[in-house]
Amino acid sequence: MTDVRAPETDPFDAAAERDDQPRPGPSSPGAAFGLADWLKWLWRQLTSMRIALILLFLLALASVPGSMLPQQGGNPAGVQQYYTSHPALAPWLNRLGLFNVFAAPWFAAIYLLLFASLVGCVVPRTFRLAGSARTLPPRAPRNLARLPRSAEYTTALPPREAVEVAARVLSGRGFRLRRPDDEDWVSAEKGYLREAGNLLFHLALLGVLVSVALGGLFGYKADRLLVQGQGFADTVSALDEWHPGRFVTAADLGPFTIKLNRFDASYVASGQQRGQPSAFDARVTYTEQPGGPARTFDLDVNRPLSVDGAKVYLIGHGYAPQFTVTDGRGHVVYSQATPFVAGASGNFLSEGVVKVPDAQPEQLGFTGVFVPTAVNVGGTLESVFPAADNPVVSLIAYAGNLGEDSGPSQSVYQLDTTAMHRLTTSPQVLAPGQSLKLPDGRGRITFTGYVPWVSLAITHDPGQLPALICGIAALGGLLLSFTIRRRRIFVRARTGPSPGRGTTVQVGGLARTDASGGFEAEFAGLAAELKSAHEQAAPAPSAPPTQRAESAPPAQSAESAPPAQPAESAPPTQPAPPTKPAQQQPAEHRHEGE
Amino acid sequence: MVVLAAAVLAGVLLIVVLATGWAGSGNTGVTTIDGNAGAVLYTAGHRPLAPEFTGTTLTGSTLSFSSYRGKVVVLNFWGSWCVPCREEASILAAVAAKYQSSGVSFLGVDVRDTTAGALAFAHSFHVTYPSVSDQSSAITLDFTAKVPIAATPTTLVVDRTGHIAGAVFGAVTYPELTAILAKVA
Amino acid sequence: MPVNVALGHVSNAFLIAALVIYSLSVVAFAGDFAFGRPRRAAEAARGQQAQDHAAALAPVGAASAAGGPAPAGPGVPATPGPATTGGEPADGAGSMPELEVPALRAIREAGRWVVAAVALAAVGAAAHTTAVITRGLAVHRAPWGNMYEFVTALTCVAAIFFLFALIRYRAWTLGVFVMGAVVVTLGLAETLIYTAPGDLVPALQSYWLDIHVTAMTLATGIFFVSAVLGFVYLWVDRYTRRVAAGRAAPGNGIVRRLPGIEQLDRLTYRTIVFGFPVWTFGVIAGAIWADQAWGRYWGWDPVETWAFITWVLYAAFLHARATAGWRGRRAHYVQLLGFVSLIFNILVVQVFIAGMHSYAGVG
Repeated sequence: MTDVRAPETDPFDAAAERDDQPRPGPSSPGAAFGLADWLKWLWRQLTSMRIALILLFLLALASVPGSMLPQQGGNPAGVQQYYTSHPALAPWLNRLGLFNVFAAPWFAAIYLLLFASLVGCVVPRTFRLAGSARTLPPRAPRNLARLPRSAEYTTALPPREAVEVAARVLSGRGFRLRRPDDEDWVSAEKGYLREAGNLLFHLALLGVLVSVALGGLFGYKADRLLVQGQGFADTVSALDEWHPGRFVTAADLGPFTIKLNRFDASYVASGQQRGQPSAFDARVTYTEQPGGPARTFDLDVNRPLSVDGAKVYLIGHGYAPQFTVTDGRGHVVYSQATPFVAGASGNFLSEGVVKVPDAQPEQLGFTGVFVPTAVNVGGTLESVFPAADNPVVSLIAYAGNLGEDSGPSQSVYQLDTTAMHRLTTSPQVLAPGQSLKLPDGRGRITFTGYVPWVSLAITHDPGQLPALICGIAALGGLLLSFTIRRRRIFVRARTGPSPGRGTTVQVGGLARTDASGGFEAEFAGLAAELKSAHEQAAPAPSAPPTQRAESAPPAQSAESAPPAQPAESAPPTQPAPPTKPAQQQPAEHRHEGE
Repeated sequence: MVVLAAAVLAGVLLIVVLATGWAGSGNTGVTTIDGNAGAVLYTAGHRPLAPEFTGTTLTGSTLSFSSYRGKVVVLNFWGSWCVPCREEASILAAVAAKYQSSGVSFLGVDVRDTTAGALAFAHSFHVTYPSVSDQSSAITLDFTAKVPIAATPTTLVVDRTGHIAGAVFGAVTYPELTAILAKVA
Repeated sequence: MPVNVALGHVSNAFLIAALVIYSLSVVAFAGDFAFGRPRRAAEAARGQQAQDHAAALAPVGAASAAGGPAPAGPGVPATPGPATTGGEPADGAGSMPELEVPALRAIREAGRWVVAAVALAAVGAAAHTTAVITRGLAVHRAPWGNMYEFVTALTCVAAIFFLFALIRYRAWTLGVFVMGAVVVTLGLAETLIYTAPGDLVPALQSYWLDIHVTAMTLATGIFFVSAVLGFVYLWVDRYTRRVAAGRAAPGNGIVRRLPGIEQLDRLTYRTIVFGFPVWTFGVIAGAIWADQAWGRYWGWDPVETWAFITWVLYAAFLHARATAGWRGRRAHYVQLLGFVSLIFNILVVQVFIAGMHSYAGVG
């Protein structure tokens, strides 16, 4: 039967759906409503299906702003952008927690309530399932024709044997039986695993939540940018970003070192997909602890490196043009590859900053644009391909106070020019090897070349594997609960349709839940199987009794000569049956004869 | 049912509280200076052994830390890119000058830096003591196993037996550094 | 490996062919409404409706309206008349539940229009599948790497799934709606978002792509069918209520031919029951892929968030069906809301809202 039926009338576990309706609350008349009663009422409300449904809607609704507005966790630059473009609205959104929805307390309240409701519903049902698995199926109803599925046929077996045969068939099919000693019916039930699957699914969801919490408390995330040729040791001061979980300390980092030997990226050169990346490859050398053996690994976008319990992922890449700055005193005060970051315009047009705080007589700063494949389009430089086929750099020079001698740390990608004056009137374009001579004898900057850089993410999440296991368990529980149906089959046998004319066997069945359908087919198959089992157990000539009555009586009485009495009590499988119809025939025959 | 659930919940909460308290239990043997958690002294007997290292100085020569055994060493982790390092540079230079005759040596560990930038820094701030290059933070990693170095700059004070006796996490101040040296030197 | 342009053309050709053949099948399904055998379907449907109604209302032991003649029977609007199989006693006491009439026979008995429509739909589905497969061979990867390929693949899944449901549940009267929706969707895809065969960006070259997007494609195709069925349900439900309120004339020709409201509801439910585990698996596979590629298995990326919202809404539908006051119409609103969120995810979130998922390759 479908789920559409009202639960109160469901013969299966009527108690299971009790919490469907909210219980009468404190406004109902009666005895005084104490605190305990209030709590009980609240609890019943919380664990009702209706509230669960509302909480599910709330969960979905609450997630929407988390996808529409920039979020602090994944897009902090976007949040900053939002503040700039919506200066009045942004602080209010922030107060409501809308820039960090999934860590906001109100979001947590929704899913915590939902899980409380889940636990409050699932735990009692688990006990109930354990209980019902031990109790016997109920008595067979009187009139099986009223069940959603029923069948009726006659057999020549007496009622008791008919029920025996039916019991054996059902038992062979895995049903749990209930058979009284003195009555001719059997109840059979099957499909407890369905509820077990349902409970497994819901508990596994709880497990996923716990695993996520585990990861958040005991895991960490870190970032590091590496220029080709550079290496780093896994310690907090060497990381660009460090986000430990609540219970994580710096000592939890594994003592590995990684060096980026080489990075190659290739791009599609022609066709509709021109400019799309076709392959990345970062060749690294790593050691698991200081002094340990050095190993090489090809880090790829879908292939992280597992080391010391952490995983190292290749997240992004870019260009780091190399500059050498000679100051006014003739000293080389800067000589390194400077990571530039690709902007939104595409094809790896990148921006960056060179800061030279120890140049004499004045500190120097440069803002630059690196163009991998430069083409002059109407006066502006554009990059038409992401590979560095024609690299140039365009620089604007400043001198003055960088603002780095005191105060808070600055971003290495931004130049604060408030205390600086511009040295060049317009951006100067340099090809590799070219220099820009600074005015007033302040020195010069040379663009010597470029190397690639990669950004790595180092993460550790102890909840990752448990979450996966719980996810798979949830899926398993879901499949179980959808494919298995809890159903009951009843078989009643009584003499009839009129006394002396065989036994009428009634079969009835109902399914409590039938998500995937198929109970009709199962019932039809079972009824047919029962019928054929009865026919096989009945005497070989399965012609209807009326036909037998017409055949020659002497033949019958000859057959009736062999043991008549024992035949009646013999189990149906014995070859005794042939005598039974003979036993009955004469009675019927006589009956009809009268 | 409600009572049972409440009891279970209370029990779980109790376990969680106890577990976190145990996990976050403090350690003895460390005293702070002037109540500032960023500047600490390790009492004798609780001083971690400083790891040995060998590196290349900014001028290109090889330097081995073991050669400093028997002297008090102020080990300063710094970088030319680091803003607080620029703030503390003059303080370090002043303290270095003051304690020069007392047998206190100063040694820098130049982290994530380039030779050109580091030399320019040293020139700007008249840093006379040598620095070892630690481009890959390997030396820092070894020390982080002993003391919780979380950022740059960090300054450690190593006693004559080669054990770490004091630490300043962050830019040093004159009072803090002199207080540590007074106890250790 | 370079794209096999010739196979790409073959794929396009098969897709156009499928589109045309599907359109013809829609015409045939509609023709069945207009010219097909009216009475049989209506009678059987009504009989089935009465049965479902009785079964739904009658608890065990209570008096039942359908108590007299044995109500046993499969949910099949098959040939009317006494349902018998061989081997029953001639005295006719009781009856056996009918083992189902074989599907092909049932279709044949439903009339020429239905035969033509089902045949055309099947041929169209075969052409559609060929188009998808050849596209995959042309680009040397699973053929659902951009929006266009995704839509062609999911409509293929929807068509095949509907054909199976049609055969199993004898639901050809729903053909005009489901196949019609497939035609419209496929047509829009061809005209608006067609993308020539090409390679994927490296971020996507992983076998987990195949697993994750395959599962999502399958699930979306299945939910496509349940969404169409949901619309049909709401339409029939609204019509029934208007008739009951006296604001519409009874005996609408189309509604009469459709399966009863209970069976529509059941069919929709079973479709979603099929699709929900697939969607769940797709989300899990996506989390595994995200962990490999981006270093975390869940980061509330906009596409991830909307996949989660879709999952929650379909879960709400399943819960609504077990909650008094939420069965029937309201549950189907929920289910359709879930499908809307799914479409929103594909069309708006993936394309316009920046995130790590934006590889849709549109435009």
